[in-house]
Amino acid sequence: MNDEAKSNCPVGTGDEPKATGSTVPMWLFALMLTLLFLGGVYFDHHSGWFSAQVYSPYVSAEQLELYQPKSGAAAAAAQGKKVYETVCGICHGVDGMGKPAMAPPLAGSEWAIAGGFHRLAQIPLRGLNGPFQVEGKDWNLNMAPMGAALSDADLAAVLTYIRTSWGNKASAVSADDVKAIRAEAAGHPAITGAQLKDMPE
Amino acid sequence: MKNGFSVFLAALVALGLSWCGFVLGSVKQLGTAKQESILNSSDTYPLQPTGNATLGLQVYRANGCAACHTEQVRQDGVVCDVVLTAAGKNPTVVSNLVSTLKLTGLTKDEADAASDKITDAGGKVEIQINATGVDIPRWGVRRSVAADYLYDNPVQLGSLRAGPDLANVGARFPDLNWQLVHLYAPQTVATNSAMPPFRFLFEVSKIGEAPSPDALKFPQGFAVPSGCEVVPLPEAKQLAAYLLSLKADAPLYEAPFTPVMTKP
Repeated sequence: MNDEAKSNCPVGTGDEPKATGSTVPMWLFALMLTLLFLGGVYFDHHSGWFSAQVYSPYVSAEQLELYQPKSGAAAAAAQGKKVYETVCGICHGVDGMGKPAMAPPLAGSEWAIAGGFHRLAQIPLRGLNGPFQVEGKDWNLNMAPMGAALSDADLAAVLTYIRTSWGNKASAVSADDVKAIRAEAAGHPAITGAQLKDMPE
Repeated sequence: MKNGFSVFLAALVALGLSWCGFVLGSVKQLGTAKQESILNSSDTYPLQPTGNATLGLQVYRANGCAACHTEQVRQDGVVCDVVLTAAGKNPTVVSNLVSTLKLTGLTKDEADAASDKITDAGGKVEIQINATGVDIPRWGVRRSVAADYLYDNPVQLGSLRAGPDLANVGARFPDLNWQLVHLYAPQTVATNSAMPPFRFLFEVSKIGEAPSPDALKFPQGFAVPSGCEVVPLPEAKQLAAYLLSLKADAPLYEAPFTPVMTKP
């Protein structure tokens, strides 16, 4: 019976199924390209172009720059820091600690944190010729009138920065103050160490 | 295998590209991160943690704190508020402007426009930038950024908030005794807290000739057996030092905001 059943079984109803190549439908291509395009647009608007500084909710470096808090005292402080680091920091150090044989420290310096800023403001306007003393140490150096070329606002910002940074806690200087002191200092030669001692604060 | 080489090549390219994106890209982006300046200040952020705080991170790890606490503050947006600081010569005109213009919840462009209008009328204004989001201000003042984790090894981001976020806990609870009491008996200082007490980090001992200077000062109503004191073991001190070192409250270039002026 088994043999009979076997012989009656239909054998081979055709070839084995085979995987063959077929064309990818065009709509799938179109869909993928559209998604790619939309992804590109989204990326362009939100990525910040892989900048390490751009986090959400900001979407670009420009937008982040726009949102930096800059107004009033804060803006002046930022400007003072910038001017200090480009003009003064090369010799006095960005940390205000001075550099041996180049410039004395400004952090904690009695000349920087004096009650008045009249004498301090004259130094960058007229220049200073040593020898003089800072925090009990002798310095025999000359400083060119580095601040003469700065605008009143920039010089005021940098003086304020010097008087309020690195632990210094002295009063701020305004652009009008600098204007008055500049007019007074005009035509005067560089300050000598001996004159510095006798100048009023 | 049919097309074996193509499959190998495709897998290699796919894995290679994702390695470039996840590993190489991240290293290029943040591998050279170092301390940075706090906005409008000459101070740097973050400060190098003390030795106790560095050890405390390991205690934090060992006790599985990251299972219930995150260290990541989310920020949804940023808004600008225009604040009048001086009325100037035409106080009536300025006050009229202030009452008609919308001055809170603005974008930066809108805030600049409003600020220009008031400045033209003679008033002085300041634009305040504030982070917004559900985590702000209860757990932080701004979003967490890479600089916050500069000295953390390994970083304890956490993924579940059974307890509150700790990214800024050192600024929120700056008192050492509070932190220690909270570790010893959380519910005495945080009502309804779900945190288990970490009493094994402390030692209850008889008061000797003089009370220990480290002994915890408990609030009213918490009874320590009379003649006894609770003294933190080194691990508790380290963990508390680590928690106090978690201060993500400095305005940075990448996460700017106007700090609230604290009255001296």
